[in-house]
Amino acid sequence: MNMNILSFLLKKPKDLQAYTPDSAFESAGVMLKAEIDRVFGHSIAIREVDCGSDNAAEIELANLSAPHYDVERFGITFVASPRHADILAVTGVVTHGMKEALIKTYEATPEPKFVIAVGDDACTGGMYIGTYAVVGPVDAVIPVDLKIPGNPPTPAAILEGLLTLMNVAKKR
Amino acid sequence: MTGILAHDSTLSLPAEWLIREDATTVQYRIPDERIKAIAETLLAFESRLVWIFCTEEAKDDSFVLWYVFELAEMRRYLVLVQNTQSPVSLVNIYPAASRFERAITDGFGLQFGGSPDSRRLFLHEAYPDKFHPLRKSVKNAPITVSDSQIPFEFRSMEGTGVYQVPVGPVHAGIIEPGHFRFSVIGEDILNLEIRLGYLHRGIEKLAEGCSPEKGVRIAESVSGDESVANACCYAMAVEQILSVQVPPRAVWLRAYFLELERSWSLLSDLAGMVTDVAFSTAASRLLILRETVQRVCERLTGSRFLKGIIGIGGISHDIPDDLLVEVTDTLMKVRVDLEGILSWVLSVPSVIDRFSTTGVVREPLIDPLALSGPVARASGRALDVRSDHPYGLYETHPIPPLTRMTGDVLGRFALKGDEVLASLAYITELVRQIPKGPVQAEYEVCDGDALAAVESPRGRNLCYVRICDGSIDRFALSTASFCNWMALEHAVLGNIVPDFPVINKSMNLSYAGTDL
Repeated sequence: MNMNILSFLLKKPKDLQAYTPDSAFESAGVMLKAEIDRVFGHSIAIREVDCGSDNAAEIELANLSAPHYDVERFGITFVASPRHADILAVTGVVTHGMKEALIKTYEATPEPKFVIAVGDDACTGGMYIGTYAVVGPVDAVIPVDLKIPGNPPTPAAILEGLLTLMNVAKKR
Repeated sequence: MTGILAHDSTLSLPAEWLIREDATTVQYRIPDERIKAIAETLLAFESRLVWIFCTEEAKDDSFVLWYVFELAEMRRYLVLVQNTQSPVSLVNIYPAASRFERAITDGFGLQFGGSPDSRRLFLHEAYPDKFHPLRKSVKNAPITVSDSQIPFEFRSMEGTGVYQVPVGPVHAGIIEPGHFRFSVIGEDILNLEIRLGYLHRGIEKLAEGCSPEKGVRIAESVSGDESVANACCYAMAVEQILSVQVPPRAVWLRAYFLELERSWSLLSDLAGMVTDVAFSTAASRLLILRETVQRVCERLTGSRFLKGIIGIGGISHDIPDDLLVEVTDTLMKVRVDLEGILSWVLSVPSVIDRFSTTGVVREPLIDPLALSGPVARASGRALDVRSDHPYGLYETHPIPPLTRMTGDVLGRFALKGDEVLASLAYITELVRQIPKGPVQAEYEVCDGDALAAVESPRGRNLCYVRICDGSIDRFALSTASFCNWMALEHAVLGNIVPDFPVINKSMNLSYAGTDL
């Protein structure tokens, strides 16, 4: 049903369809849904925090809710407040300007909570490491459960990252 | 040459002040005490002060201020260069100067005499007193964070029934951080003050000492959805220093990528605007087109954000002709779909009701605040770097600026829609004529400095590069968002708080591109 509506809306040209690894994304999504059902009880809520990103990672995270990906059907929602969140998705190298806001957001998130660092700069600090304006990668400020590299990671890579996170969560 | 304007001899500066003429600028060295008088004279000539930046001279630790003016019908930028230790503020003549001056005070510690607002701009409370990162004497190393954190003082609004609504830096949506301080009566916005700087990553300092090649990667990290524009702008400045001639095929492909980036970037804005008036079916259709264009980007360059494709002297790798032809079909379909979606959205009464007369940017604000891009064009001014200061392919294949007169959200929606259609038409037409040949010119690094400008999806991006001893000595950048944020502060006045998201989205300015 879902695919019917999508393909009607998309009217995707043939060449693009052949190229798009949508089937891989779909099967990863279905697997993730099963894991979310088991580990979190039907759904996970993600709060995004930008601490020094160039906005590309935000665009890809927002893309997960757009029609091509539509991850809400796999039980993933992006929420407006950290108080409603299971997971914080943090992007960018942490700047001095955002350090305090990140800590407050982390403290406002109820336990049990998980943190994923999204993008190269969030994971390692990238080219900003050791410069005056940054504190460091996300794990220099708050504990990080999973790192998803990429400049920025694609929506599919973020989804696969969430699948890995389920294993981390199971062990907790 | 003494007269600045060919057609007008009344505005002339002494010939002995002229220090340089190049492809993008005409530069005059101005005696310290004359700058204010000259700025006042320039005001009579329909001029905009579009940028002030500062450099430090290595030989004597002195500071040089560069005032970049744009004059009507003058193709090159007029740059007034001033050696000074105690500059005077130009805020009373050009209000746009205020934030440029505050940025220079933060970066270099120069105090502007007579400035009505000397609060810090991009350095937040954590930075210690008298810390000025862009000075050459300051090493780019981790700092000791200040304990005595003096709070930032917002403009205070007082009166019966006035209350404050603080928003941010962490917002409800998946967007960048910034703080909005509303002063409100009932639901009506009486004042808005925007505080940014949360994303200050020290980009300008980071570039210092890097090789010119590395600078391209730094420039494209400034803002993810204008990465081609910033990389091109930087590369054009460096190419001017090195006297490199970009091969014709690379010139064409750069224009192709610039317009492709404009297309997907503006499609996001369109989707965001209809989302914020709760028209999610239209948003979904627009997001499908955006994703389609981003997949084309990935297919051509390997990056959904076109990162890594621009290089000094051309582009980093060639794109096969048959691939370009193949994606043209897709882009033409996007264009046809978009036409249908736009006419559909603009025929829905509830959309018009929310868009029309909301968030008006009045035309008289454009010059004083140095507004540019779709924000200026939707308010009736045909300002566009591609036609005012043509570069690259736009010199031979112009793309006429589009305008709307109303200046409201409806105007910006319709204009951005038209601009995507125009960009897609431009590249699908372009692809038939792309010349064959190399895409990368040979070059040798030499010392020098230059200024370049491009029209990014958000407007005028300016970049200044100086190379000393083969590495970057100064990299300064001003994106369109830096000035256009001021338009948002004005556009929301008298509107209700619930309309703020759609007004904000209609401009969709870059936080990262402002904070650097």
